[in-house]
Amino acid sequence: MDQNQLQATGKNYANPKTCFFHVLFKAAALAFYILSALFINSFVIIFVITVLLAALDFWVVKNVSGRILVGLRWWNEVDEQGESVWKFECLDHESLARMNKKDSWLFWWTLYITAVAWIFLGIFSLIRFQADFLLAIGVCLSLSIANIVGFTKCRKDAKKQIQAFAQQTIASRVSSTIQSAFSVV
Amino acid sequence: MSHNDTIPLHPSSQSDIDEIESLIHASVQSASLQGPQTVLPARPPSPPRASIPVSSSPFIASSIPPAYHKPVTSSTPVPPVPSEPPVSSKPSIGSNGFGSSTNTLTEPVWDTVKRDMSRIVSNLKLVVFPNPYREDPGKALRDWDLWGPFFFIIFLGLTLSWSASVKKSEVFAVAFAVLAAGAIILTLNVLLLGGHIIFFQSLSLLGYCLFPLDVGAVICMLKDNVIIKIIVVLITLAWSSWAAYPFMSAAVAPKRKALALYPVFLMYISVGFLIIAID
Repeated sequence: MDQNQLQATGKNYANPKTCFFHVLFKAAALAFYILSALFINSFVIIFVITVLLAALDFWVVKNVSGRILVGLRWWNEVDEQGESVWKFECLDHESLARMNKKDSWLFWWTLYITAVAWIFLGIFSLIRFQADFLLAIGVCLSLSIANIVGFTKCRKDAKKQIQAFAQQTIASRVSSTIQSAFSVV
Repeated sequence: MSHNDTIPLHPSSQSDIDEIESLIHASVQSASLQGPQTVLPARPPSPPRASIPVSSSPFIASSIPPAYHKPVTSSTPVPPVPSEPPVSSKPSIGSNGFGSSTNTLTEPVWDTVKRDMSRIVSNLKLVVFPNPYREDPGKALRDWDLWGPFFFIIFLGLTLSWSASVKKSEVFAVAFAVLAAGAIILTLNVLLLGGHIIFFQSLSLLGYCLFPLDVGAVICMLKDNVIIKIIVVLITLAWSSWAAYPFMSAAVAPKRKALALYPVFLMYISVGFLIIAID
């Protein structure tokens, strides 16, 4: 009955470690950036560490938490003709339906909130005319937005795919029901 | 990024489909109480069924779901994930026993890390080092990635900033901004000249070609003699330009090669000056 127990605890996070890491780097980048102004004088260190944390977060979200928390993945390939192709991958319908709701809620909302936070900080830097901090914020913001756009496109693609598949299954079931009806007769 | 292994139409998916189909059939049959059981193994010609289209069109192929994850009561044993990740908290998250490891969705985290790292190394070797067996250079940077360029730009900025005795943050910011904005603008330049290059591929290429300048900057940081600096920078500059040349020139029409290449040289020369001038 392990399966049932696991389903019962689905009320909580199904992948607490992944959720933790998903949030960790985002929060660390934001926190470091905000707090560093208090006790670090060197802009270079602030920049490098913030951007490094943001890049690590990008990688974790794209490759780990996207797969595990919401079952989506996106990437870009260059095909034989030299054209750029965006590829989306998602788990099939059953597994997607089995995804923990809390997990995916956390995933999407932290993605959006981080982007909004960076925009906020960017506005602060603008007001204070700190062009170099604006550079750091620009990099972090573009990484967040890239992830948001990628996963949103992937989710839409997954929905389209599920619809298409559902139609096909319905069509095939109808035809097999008809077939079996005829075979009974 | 060639995830060739995720063009996922590998044979076992066909038998999975058949299994599911047969389950549907079996349930329909049992509802109708009689009739021959039509539970079949893989049957080649098929009536209309939920078949994954084996199309080569990139977009449809890309949105094909990977091999079906079997229903819970399946009798087919789930193959154990061959490369179990080593025991360290982060990589061990990834193996969630979903079965087939031929798609990238369910691979362990460690695999992803290794794959990305090996891609960086192979791209570096491809772009920067002399390689007589290199295929058509325009197609060579197929698996572009931006991690290599990211590390190189940061490293270059750090090295320059370290060498500077005054105005360290300005130096870093200028170096980073010049390189980043320069790469974007140069790519736009090629695109506007009617060249055929993918935006990210070009960014990736220009970033990887910074590697020689990184090496030059480190050497200049260690040795403070101006003459040596000039020589080192000239050599690494030539190396960078030599590395960038085939890709850029392959991308545009022959008449416009100079127009595409000149700004690249200019950018690398300005970075070279930055390296020399820092003391």
